[in-house]
Amino acid sequence: MNHEALAREMRGLREQVPGITDTAVAAADGMLIAADTADTIDPESLAAIAAAGLGIARRATAVTGRGAFRQTVTYGSQGLAAFYAVGDTALMIVLGDEGIDLERLHEQTRPALGRIGSILTDPDPLAGTPTAPDALVGAVTETATEGV
Amino acid sequence: MSGIRDSLGRVGYDLLSRALSECQGTRATGKLRVSGKPGGVFHLRDGCVVAVESPGAPGPEARLLRSGRISGEQWAELLRETGGTRWPEAGLIAHGYAGAAQLRVVCMMAMQDAAFAVVAGDVEACDPLDAAFEPYAPVVLGEAPGRLLQDAARKLAAVAALPQPVRPDRERPVPAPVPDEIREQLPLPQKELLAHADGRRTARDIAFATGLGAYTVTVGMARMLGEGLLELPEEPESAAPVTVRDLPTGALRQRPSGAPPAIDPTVFSALSSAVAAGQAPAPEPRPSSGPPPGASAPSLPRREPGANAPSLPRREPGASGITETLAPERTGASWKGFFRLRHRIWTPDSGT
Repeated sequence: MNHEALAREMRGLREQVPGITDTAVAAADGMLIAADTADTIDPESLAAIAAAGLGIARRATAVTGRGAFRQTVTYGSQGLAAFYAVGDTALMIVLGDEGIDLERLHEQTRPALGRIGSILTDPDPLAGTPTAPDALVGAVTETATEGV
Repeated sequence: MSGIRDSLGRVGYDLLSRALSECQGTRATGKLRVSGKPGGVFHLRDGCVVAVESPGAPGPEARLLRSGRISGEQWAELLRETGGTRWPEAGLIAHGYAGAAQLRVVCMMAMQDAAFAVVAGDVEACDPLDAAFEPYAPVVLGEAPGRLLQDAARKLAAVAALPQPVRPDRERPVPAPVPDEIREQLPLPQKELLAHADGRRTARDIAFATGLGAYTVTVGMARMLGEGLLELPEEPESAAPVTVRDLPTGALRQRPSGAPPAIDPTVFSALSSAVAAGQAPAPEPRPSSGPPPGASAPSLPRREPGANAPSLPRREPGASGITETLAPERTGASWKGFFRLRHRIWTPDSGT
């Protein structure tokens, strides 16, 4: 896994979409992998909560027959927390303030999820460019484009 | 300074100006979506702008909520009362959260600030006017588009004329090493700005965090940079580094095709172990079955890292904090409780 490339992707996303305040990447079981968060956020518990929330949301999508799971977004009066699946083995958390353009967020996040998926599964730490689309990236695309 | 003036984006500004004056000419009503960064939506009535929404500037709701004038719960209650409106103006006045005149000022300031944010950013394109007229927190008397844009451009020029200009959505400064006695003497708005400038936030971000206008914070930030109270880190990444952990296996393993979906079993076992680690309330002491009181609750069998599981270290059980709401059912206990309850409710003369 290329640490630099992952950090670049996460920072890039925060700079691209006005309103993103924090991002984090975790394994599907809630183990934190990378955090670009302010001091006020505890990324460890955030990762655990995101894993639990995504698991429940996936089940909810399945039992209600809503097609392929895409993402969950939790809204508060001062912003939102979006949880995305990165393939089957990881997840990404994006926190935003109330000004964030949700459409733009999803638009920019989808391609980033594919790239982050490739970085996470790439065993060569020095590999700078993501490899050709593999099974995981395929899973991400499916998550993003299918569904009802 | 000249960089800012050049990046005003003459082309984008002209595009917006042309689109808006066309709307004014035809006395159009509807919404004009401006794509770009941050972009926004201009709401027009009879050719006059009555509201502007932009991700680049806090709207009236954010201004009221973030400034602490009204709490999130009170806001939700107002929305419930008014049934469906996004901007509960009458409720705000009726409950005394704000006066009618104050709300008019807040709406006008939010509109001008959003126009400033759109003009200060990059304007890529203007969509054709959408006839749907659903302005958020409109002002009573619309503003002529030309005047609104001129005001925004004048503000942008004012920022650019400062010795250390910043763009609302670009620079992310950090507090400069300033002696405490000087810091103590600063006026409150400057102290607040210092507290929020952590190398991660732009002027726009601080505006949202405080409920102030994007223009106000941009000017404040530029002035404080000029006075040496704030500084821009040489390498923006160094101020807010992304922490990345080493994975024990070097990389996540892909799940072989045909393997069962990963998240559900893992997460549920993680959740249940988290729940088991917390204090799950035992419904009633039952001597014959179940764990003796005080003994640790049985946790579900953990999945051993095998061919199907990504071999990752386990996180701390209970880190999600979900320990009380999702307590697992003890075998039989809940049903027993149900029948007992039913028995208690039912009486021969109750008619059921």
